[in-house]
Amino acid sequence: MSCIIDPAIIRDITAVIREAVAEDWIQEFEIGANTSFNDDLDLESVEFVTIAAGLQRHFGGQIDLIGWLSTKSFDDLIALRVGNIAEFVSDRLVAGGGQG
Amino acid sequence: MLIAVPPLTGHINPALSLAAELLLRGHEVAWAVHRDLIPDLLPADAEVYALPVESNLELGKRSSGVRGLESVKFFYEQFCLPLARASLQPLQDIVQAVEPDLMICDHQMLAGALVARARKIPWFTLASTNVSILKMSGVIDAWIDEQFAGLQRDYGVPVQARPDFSSYGVIVFSSEALLGGKYAYYEAPYHFVGPALTHRPLAVEFPWQEMRSDALKMLISLGTVSRDRGLRFYEVMMEALDGLTVSDSSQSRRSLQVVMVAPEELRERAPANFIVRPRVPQIALLAHMDAVLCHAGHNTVCEALSFGLPLIVAPIRDDQPIVARQVIDAGAGLFMRYGKVTVAAARAAVEELLRKPGYRNGALRLKESFRHLGGASQAAGILERFLHEDSAPSGHTRTVQPGPSHAVG
Repeated sequence: MSCIIDPAIIRDITAVIREAVAEDWIQEFEIGANTSFNDDLDLESVEFVTIAAGLQRHFGGQIDLIGWLSTKSFDDLIALRVGNIAEFVSDRLVAGGGQG
Repeated sequence: MLIAVPPLTGHINPALSLAAELLLRGHEVAWAVHRDLIPDLLPADAEVYALPVESNLELGKRSSGVRGLESVKFFYEQFCLPLARASLQPLQDIVQAVEPDLMICDHQMLAGALVARARKIPWFTLASTNVSILKMSGVIDAWIDEQFAGLQRDYGVPVQARPDFSSYGVIVFSSEALLGGKYAYYEAPYHFVGPALTHRPLAVEFPWQEMRSDALKMLISLGTVSRDRGLRFYEVMMEALDGLTVSDSSQSRRSLQVVMVAPEELRERAPANFIVRPRVPQIALLAHMDAVLCHAGHNTVCEALSFGLPLIVAPIRDDQPIVARQVIDAGAGLFMRYGKVTVAAARAAVEELLRKPGYRNGALRLKESFRHLGGASQAAGILERFLHEDSAPSGHTRTVQPGPSHAVG
């Protein structure tokens, strides 16, 4: 990822992903900013709904992941990495004045 | 009638059932298809006009590493659209020679749709998966629209939003009960006819004498495109289910027998309770099964549900994640992550599927939804009715019956 992301946000997003997927393998699977949702985690696009709900619970209602994803291109969606979501969350937290 | 289909087993199979039904009713049926890619699939006496193969269109071999969303883009960019562009001129020549009264075009055989429109021949769409009629994702749908618009512009027909769907009628080999009403449909005159399973001409050998009458039986199949992706998944299944004893829905302990469609090389490594074959007579086998573990291909799912069989769905590519979700939402099965599943998770999923009666009940509800639909016979009836009305004097003012335009909920 190009800019610096707070490692705490990556950790929190990782926890949200692990909880949303809720399978044995992912609890051990190393997740970082470079982890790809399609290639590394084998996630399906329909699963973003659960992750989006988890992010809202954790970071607050201003985190509209599905709305943000709908502004992306097809290629962006295919290449989506944890770091992209961390940047998005960071931006919204700054814009929204931090965690509620 | 001229049938145009892509060289994919899952798209040819329902068309085969329909063609057999039309022949029985005395119609002449010809095929426009890439015969070199599918030498075993069509009956020997079929009237076939071979489309030339310009590039290697064997989807499975070319896309072995691609999964999920990436496979959707790959499918259109590397298969569907090149296939359409390469087939337009040859198909136009075939149509000129055959002069069909009606064309029957698979939804992913875009050349059929465009040639029919250009030559003003009535045509129907065959949708071999229900997912293509759904409005799923604004981003992906807009991208597909753009690709289809480019294709139509280059061929010189007016650009339509969904050129794969005929305004004469779209025959969907599925039921609305399976669709579940979660997503809206594209506007088109749909006919839901359920799966078409009849008149499959192909005979595949199978060691029926090895089937154990006392065991619970499960079929594992990843479909024709993904069968040879890799061995990991099969190896996990063999380890997880080796010699397994499970509880059935009345809590009796039964041994499990597995029929697994997998590459030949796994045959000698298979546990004693496995029958491993690269090809099986799937529909004949399903009558003897208690459950199915598959890639959530629409055909395999509907075939299993026609027998009321609960499913474990391990989607890999294309529309499979959506079909898998339909099965789960209908209460007819469980999810498995194809590329990640562990031995422990695989065993737990199989045990749960066979132990809890709820999944079988969910599958039986969908079986019931298919029972009211007529499959290939209903589809043939729709086409006959159209031809009859079209040739009648009032035919030109015939109105197309609109299908349900939006899903409920």
